[in-house]
Amino acid sequence: MTKPHALSLKWVSMGWLLFVLTVSSLAIKQNPSFDSSILALLPKQTQQPIIQQATEKMAERFSKRLIIMLSGEDEEKVRLAVKTLAEGLANTANVSSVTWHIEDGAIERLQLEQFPYRFVVINKEIRARLLAGNYDEIKSLALTKLYSPLSVKSGSITEDPFRLFSELALHQNKGLNLQVNRSLLKVSGVETPTYILMVALSGEPFSTQLQQNVLGEVERNNRVLKESGIKLSMSGMLLHASAGAQQAKSEISTIGVGSLLCIVAMMLLVFRRLKPLLLTVLPVVVGCVTAAALTILIFGRVHLVTFAFGAGLVGVSVDYALHFLCERTVSPPGQVLKRLLPGLLLGLISSVIAYAVQAITPFPGLQQMATFSVIGLVASWLTVVLWLPILTQHDSLQPVMMADQLDVLRKKFPRVEEKPYFALFLLFCLGLSVSALWSSHSQDDIRLLQTSPADLLSEEKNVQTVLGVTSSSRFLMVSAKTLELSLQKEERLLSKLDELKKNGLISDYQALSLSLPSLKRQRENRELVRQLYRANLASFFMDLRLPFDVLSKAHSSFEGATGYLTPEVWRQLKISEQGKNFIVAQNNKAATTVIRLSGYFDDSVKEKLIAFSEKEDGVFYVDQIEEISDLMGRYRGEIMMWLSIAYLGVAMVLIFRYKADSWRVILPPLFASVFTLALLTQFGLGVNLFHLMALILVLGIGLDMGIFMAETDETVHTWLAVSLSSFTSLVAFGLLALSKTPVLHHFGMTVLVGLTFVWLLSPIMRKNNSRGVCL
Amino acid sequence: MNRCLLVFVVLLMPNASYAELSFEQMETLSSMPPSLKGEFTQEKYLSSLDALLVSTGTFSFQRDKSISWKTLEPIKSELLMTPTSIVSRQGARELARFEASSNPALSIFSELLFAVLTAEWEMLSNYFELTGQLKGEQWQAILIPVDTNIAQVVSRVELRGGTLLDELILHEGNGDFTKIHFRNRE
Repeated sequence: MTKPHALSLKWVSMGWLLFVLTVSSLAIKQNPSFDSSILALLPKQTQQPIIQQATEKMAERFSKRLIIMLSGEDEEKVRLAVKTLAEGLANTANVSSVTWHIEDGAIERLQLEQFPYRFVVINKEIRARLLAGNYDEIKSLALTKLYSPLSVKSGSITEDPFRLFSELALHQNKGLNLQVNRSLLKVSGVETPTYILMVALSGEPFSTQLQQNVLGEVERNNRVLKESGIKLSMSGMLLHASAGAQQAKSEISTIGVGSLLCIVAMMLLVFRRLKPLLLTVLPVVVGCVTAAALTILIFGRVHLVTFAFGAGLVGVSVDYALHFLCERTVSPPGQVLKRLLPGLLLGLISSVIAYAVQAITPFPGLQQMATFSVIGLVASWLTVVLWLPILTQHDSLQPVMMADQLDVLRKKFPRVEEKPYFALFLLFCLGLSVSALWSSHSQDDIRLLQTSPADLLSEEKNVQTVLGVTSSSRFLMVSAKTLELSLQKEERLLSKLDELKKNGLISDYQALSLSLPSLKRQRENRELVRQLYRANLASFFMDLRLPFDVLSKAHSSFEGATGYLTPEVWRQLKISEQGKNFIVAQNNKAATTVIRLSGYFDDSVKEKLIAFSEKEDGVFYVDQIEEISDLMGRYRGEIMMWLSIAYLGVAMVLIFRYKADSWRVILPPLFASVFTLALLTQFGLGVNLFHLMALILVLGIGLDMGIFMAETDETVHTWLAVSLSSFTSLVAFGLLALSKTPVLHHFGMTVLVGLTFVWLLSPIMRKNNSRGVCL
Repeated sequence: MNRCLLVFVVLLMPNASYAELSFEQMETLSSMPPSLKGEFTQEKYLSSLDALLVSTGTFSFQRDKSISWKTLEPIKSELLMTPTSIVSRQGARELARFEASSNPALSIFSELLFAVLTAEWEMLSNYFELTGQLKGEQWQAILIPVDTNIAQVVSRVELRGGTLLDELILHEGNGDFTKIHFRNRE
């Protein structure tokens, strides 16, 4: 009677093996890539799509650019090094271009393009003087320039007597502390000769392949450079991405190997044989492999944090194998599943509920993790149920010594039902914890996401200071029906920003309308220049004692220059290449531009900026850093809610089966979670997203523990199994508390404290069941 | 960093009638007073108008610190150049100010002028090729830019001097030139 059943079980097992192999090989074929950007876990559509688009456009400047700075005492050597490095990088895969060399006459060409528009695109200060009717000052400035030994090549005196164009060109090159030195880009204002290269990447900085290609080439050069005394420093997202991946890799290998060794040692100590160890690891491995494979197939790429959480899966799914093996030590082969199946099934269902709840949330990161863990759990479970009976068919019964010792220990725990004072004490602790949590603050600081080592951050900062780059994450977004209207809006805003700048409240800003004024503004400018000509041109030429026909030449030159710098014309010019970064979107319905704000400013200035933007329709103040912090806060709130829903859902299932005894299962993880959070806040850590994510795991493992104890009437070997599973999870995750990556550290810390509490609370809430070893 | 306006040619080569000059020679022949002041006459020739704009004034410099260029006729204005900034003034009023760091195009030119005026040969050798001659106490040198970006602005620089730089002519290539003559230096 058992024969056909066993046979079909064998077929199903084979089928399962085939499935695992197929899925894995399909996933490997996809050539999976791994994300290490935390931002990849955050939802994309939390704000207006256009703001999102603007943010991405701004971020792209940083993410796809690598700045390399070379400095050394021997200038010629440095210059040679720049050339060698640039040529090497230009031929490297994933590099789309290297900027290091300014072509002959490039700067002059760039400026001359704008010469025809000298009367309509004018410098801000000159415009202010024109508006104030300060014509004499403009005249004096022009005369000073004319007589200055410094001004050469300033153009014809009839075409531009007041030097409006050179005034514009002079002010346009503001930005980086760079000068062109014999065709190379030299940093100005530093003692040691320093040159830079700018590398544009063709792909995402998080791609491991790209990191290896680009940074490999740099490193190869750097070895030679070091010998010749040239210092290389860099700035760019690529470095942080690479450092993050390196750190994750090294921690996975140290912490990972450490925890694996602990688990192996413990298993050998308990079972004193190798086979149970292998049998415990097998379902976990199958679970992880299947989960990773399917997640890659579903999402295309997998995040490193997903893997960290996936490692959490190890902790939970190891339960199934442990329960099976512990039961197997005391039951004959045919009996094991019969006894265990209800508990295993319920354990699976409750954990799947707890994890699957995350898949419903609007956060891509959580969805990925939920998918990974649910698939992994189910796969491990199937492996235990299908393969383990076959693999342990011929093993003999062999009760484990450790089980009895642990049981003795457990029985020493006070039971709440017997000790009302102890129950009161627990409730008191709970109250204390809740009140501590109530008054605690939460922490949604972006620094939590900061994973880069300090020396990398200081190198980055140094490069930016030397170059005068102000990496600001704050900007004003300006939207209107047409680009012309956007530019007009910008111009209104800029006059307010200028006021702030004059009062020293903001350090500077960059905007498109500075190089491409609205047509309205251009017409105004032309009219202003006309008035200047009328008032002062004749006396200007008189002062210079120039022949009279020069005056009429100048007038006709002005009347002849009728062109306006329309956006269409501007797009044809080379200068538009930089300016295009300011245009987020432009179509026939709407146009959106950004005004970048540089430097630090405080909250009161921020309030002012927000007030400006609210007055003007279609203007938004955007702070990327705050945006991310907000997002994390919202994320935290959501998880809190979904965690509560998970508890409720699980509680309902449990009440259905255990009725009045349900509290023994659900309270340990619940109390443990509250205690843990309260404890963590006492260490000065605000509750953050990652603490809560870890609590999901505490819930999963805690529930399993309660369910199995209830299902098996708290037999000694069940206690052994749950203790073992707690310990393995503790080791697997708790060691993450040693991680330097804040995310993993917080995660590990929570699991460490949480699981310890669960393990301590479970026996306290046990039934009074003093049955000895089963069978 | 800044070297010299003095070229003690005579002392070293008393009998030389003509000799080719090099930057290295200029370097070894040079030493420099910590400060110098004097008068100048500047002629700016505008080829398109065939007009000559003449101005006169005084100059002074402090080694490594600043050059003050005061035009007295026909307009009154002052240009104050330091290694990091250029300020244009009229009386007490500041007309324009540039930080060298924020304005690469201008700063490279002021750096050059600084180098020419203060005979900073090593710096000049980065940008120019030098040919020149010695005749008795007098020398004259011609600088041709090797740097293409400089060549966009200046096609040729002529320098003439004895113990001190006497005359400087900047040719712009389109026929325009700026000629500066120094007098009464102390």
